[in-house]
Amino acid sequence: MFMKTFEENWTAWLDGKLTGKELDEFKASLPDLTAAELEKENALKLGNLLRKRIGVPEMTNAEFFHHQLRSEIEREQHAAAPAPAGDTVRETWWSIGRLAWTGAASLAIFALCTFFVLRDKDSGGQSAYLTQIINARVDPAVSPDATISIFEAKEDKVTVVWVDGLQSLPSEYAAK
Amino acid sequence: MHTEATPAPAEISDAELVQQCQAGNTAAFDQLVGRYRTRIFGMIYNMVHSEQDAWDLSQDSFLKAWKSIGRFRGQSSFYTWIYRIVMNVTIDWLRKKQVKGTGAEFDDAIQLKEIDPASRTAPKANALPHERMQDQEIRARIDAAIAQLSPEHRAVILMKEMEDMQYNEIAEALGCSIGTVMSRLFYARKKLQNLLRDVYENV
Repeated sequence: MFMKTFEENWTAWLDGKLTGKELDEFKASLPDLTAAELEKENALKLGNLLRKRIGVPEMTNAEFFHHQLRSEIEREQHAAAPAPAGDTVRETWWSIGRLAWTGAASLAIFALCTFFVLRDKDSGGQSAYLTQIINARVDPAVSPDATISIFEAKEDKVTVVWVDGLQSLPSEYAAK
Repeated sequence: MHTEATPAPAEISDAELVQQCQAGNTAAFDQLVGRYRTRIFGMIYNMVHSEQDAWDLSQDSFLKAWKSIGRFRGQSSFYTWIYRIVMNVTIDWLRKKQVKGTGAEFDDAIQLKEIDPASRTAPKANALPHERMQDQEIRARIDAAIAQLSPEHRAVILMKEMEDMQYNEIAEALGCSIGTVMSRLFYARKKLQNLLRDVYENV
């Protein structure tokens, strides 16, 4: 048998649940039995006061209470009930259709994004200038390492001729 | 249609109604609600001191009971079983309110004016005006004192003093040991004795 705490014994004593040996032992353990008896009397007065004064309030609109509860239960039942077979099939087909549309839309968005990204990449990689290297008019015997390049700015319509390694200018290009 | 409280001997028992509920009979559940509605509403009202909150919490408790009635094995009475749900719902609510609120819920400084003195639970006998006023004041003092107890202490004192439940029933409803119930009763009574000494000595 387990040992009861003082609080448990006191409560049992107040509620008249201590009997026989337990009661005698508890009373003997009290340092001041008269004070304890007075305390018990007060606790019983408190109990009487609570029982007398704490009432059960009357519920107004009891019918509405039932109605509201029934509605909630019905809602729960509808939510929990499995859908009819036809609906299930239709719902499955709807899901497949929705899945296909979602997939197609995703692919289209991906293709568009790829197109714009690649186009930006191409235009970003290309120089703003056109470069042509012209060797046709250079005499390899006179200027073996000569290169003539023409840079052309596409936006500004400017052309720069860059001549490198030319030993002498052919006579027909000499300034007049 | 909805009869109150104790069923007449000829009426179908709670256990039979529970079986019908478990078979999906909502009308049977409606009968059980009719039997315990007032007691449960009263219990919650005395814990939360608000009619609207007591209404909502009662709804919530009965709805939870319906959802889990399939798991009720009949090892205790339906009443004790639903009380456990009621206590869980109400104590949770009080705890959340305490966290969210101003913290005055269990504060010793709670004011009498916060308690509705016109509570419908006050005795309704044809008392004289001054007697009615006195009754209302006493009721307000009791409510204020109970409001200073923790939710668990409120629950035990109300189940013991108002419902006259046994220790084992209270323990089952609160999901704790009988020793804990007795210990909580000890402290709840001590606190109420201190708060209401002048009331019970003068009434």
